[in-house]
Amino acid sequence: MITIALPKGRLGDKVYNLFASIGYDCSEIYDDNRKLVFENKENGVRYLLVKPSDVAVYVYHGAADIGIAGKDILDECGLSLYELLDLKLGKCSMCVAAPNEYREDPSRPIRVATKFPNIAKKHYMSFNREIEIIKLNGSIEIAPLVGLSDVIVDIVETGTTLKENNLRVFEKFLPISARLIANRSSYTFKKDEIDSLCDSLQKVLEEK
Amino acid sequence: MQNFINSLPTEDRLPLELSKLYEQFGYQKYCMSKFEEYGFYSDNRDFLSTDGIIAFNNSAGKLMALKPDITLSIVKNARTLPFANARYYYNENVYRISEDTHDCKEIKQCGIELLGNVDSHATAEIVLLALKSLDKIDSNFSLIISHIAFVSSALEDAGIIGERRRKILGFIKRKNRHDLVRFCEENKVDKAITERLIKISSISGNLNEVLPTLKELVTSDKTAAAYDELSALCDALCQMDLYKNLKFDLSVLNHLDYYNGILLQGYVKNSPSPVLSGGRYDSLAKKIRGDGGAFGFAVYLDGLNLHYPNKSKFDCDAIIIYDQSDAKLLTAVNDMCKSGQKVRVERKMPDGVKAKKVFKYENGNLTEVAE
Repeated sequence: MITIALPKGRLGDKVYNLFASIGYDCSEIYDDNRKLVFENKENGVRYLLVKPSDVAVYVYHGAADIGIAGKDILDECGLSLYELLDLKLGKCSMCVAAPNEYREDPSRPIRVATKFPNIAKKHYMSFNREIEIIKLNGSIEIAPLVGLSDVIVDIVETGTTLKENNLRVFEKFLPISARLIANRSSYTFKKDEIDSLCDSLQKVLEEK
Repeated sequence: MQNFINSLPTEDRLPLELSKLYEQFGYQKYCMSKFEEYGFYSDNRDFLSTDGIIAFNNSAGKLMALKPDITLSIVKNARTLPFANARYYYNENVYRISEDTHDCKEIKQCGIELLGNVDSHATAEIVLLALKSLDKIDSNFSLIISHIAFVSSALEDAGIIGERRRKILGFIKRKNRHDLVRFCEENKVDKAITERLIKISSISGNLNEVLPTLKELVTSDKTAAAYDELSALCDALCQMDLYKNLKFDLSVLNHLDYYNGILLQGYVKNSPSPVLSGGRYDSLAKKIRGDGGAFGFAVYLDGLNLHYPNKSKFDCDAIIIYDQSDAKLLTAVNDMCKSGQKVRVERKMPDGVKAKKVFKYENGNLTEVAE
């Protein structure tokens, strides 16, 4: 039995279809109910539907053997996991954005509003730029408009939200996409099954 | 006695069984002083984890540390006899300040350290003891072996240093082949080198199975020496029963500043994180003792009671309920204890306590009653 943590939402649906196409289907998942755990004993698979930002935590603590998580979440949480496959789904970029007219003041630290403090710190540390982090949980785009921060560090897909708020991308520094992750202990004990699952997924992705 | 040991919670049982195992192989018990000078640990921070040290002033105003690390203490204090290796085992708690929560934490550890001439026999002995230690927790276990010098030298031979080395080691550690390939393309790393790095990140399996692939990856004297060391280890262990649980995987790369050769990481079926960790740390030994050669591992006991709970449904074998005690009651209890039973004596049947048998004591006689 392999336990897979799927992110709830559109990405989770897409990923489930990929798993189903390689023999890990669990038709119960389509039932209209509020269940969060689905199991197909015949196929030897169990799915956990969890909040996208929690997938890595479920996998790290061994509640799930493998899972699907965005690169943004993985880099932010920094948990020791295997990252076995790039599914190339949910593609976007981690960016530094600011009001169109923004000019950096080198005489003081940059105030950075973000949901991803660890990624932001690491990025600015790579060129020794002092920053002050303002941790927010959503609507990050407002921060520089109301003077709460100079810039934001956030994921940008199309840039529409930025444009509508008179912001623009100043720097793209981390490509994001959905990754297949595995618990290191689970991988040790279920290596053959996880490797074969990865190979099958890789083939399906290449055919697309 | 063995029945009693088996009935103990895992975290209590293991130190007894591991102590016996290590003593059988000639290891002496090391008892660490509770408080040691802070300066020593502060000077060797590179070798400690990123957690903080719990420090305080003693009555003379000297800054002291509360048991931050056992290996450092052993390396500093171990006495070696001429022509002999120092072999120590320990069963100690260490104390750190968690980097994440900033709370003080207690970490229960058992382990061994061998200092001196770590030749092929000593290496095989320690790997065998690591295998046996894991087997004491759960027969369904895996000991992963890796070789830091092999990976470091392969990168050095390919001219990959500094930030590029750090990034590539990160990809190998996460078996992140896709970002490794992307990074190598962006940084114009030679295709043949990229292929070698991909092989390093994905190599995994029984030691004898991966040795031919490892041989193909030998690019210098240093990688050849690492290969020879692994090959000798395979020869020494391949006839052992537990060899089937020994796996090789170069993605196990921990504490790169600390370890310099073979690295060990042990997993048991029910635990999501490693329960054993160790390796060769010659540079620390050289720095502190002036001579090289050091190999050891620690078994982490915390959390094992959670993953391996005591399966007994009973708190004791017998409960004796009495109204009035007399001199014979204690004799009766003593006789039952002598026969290896766990006996509890109460005036009334206690709530929430489960016993295999319940007895009533009346007029010098024990009568079994339904609970």
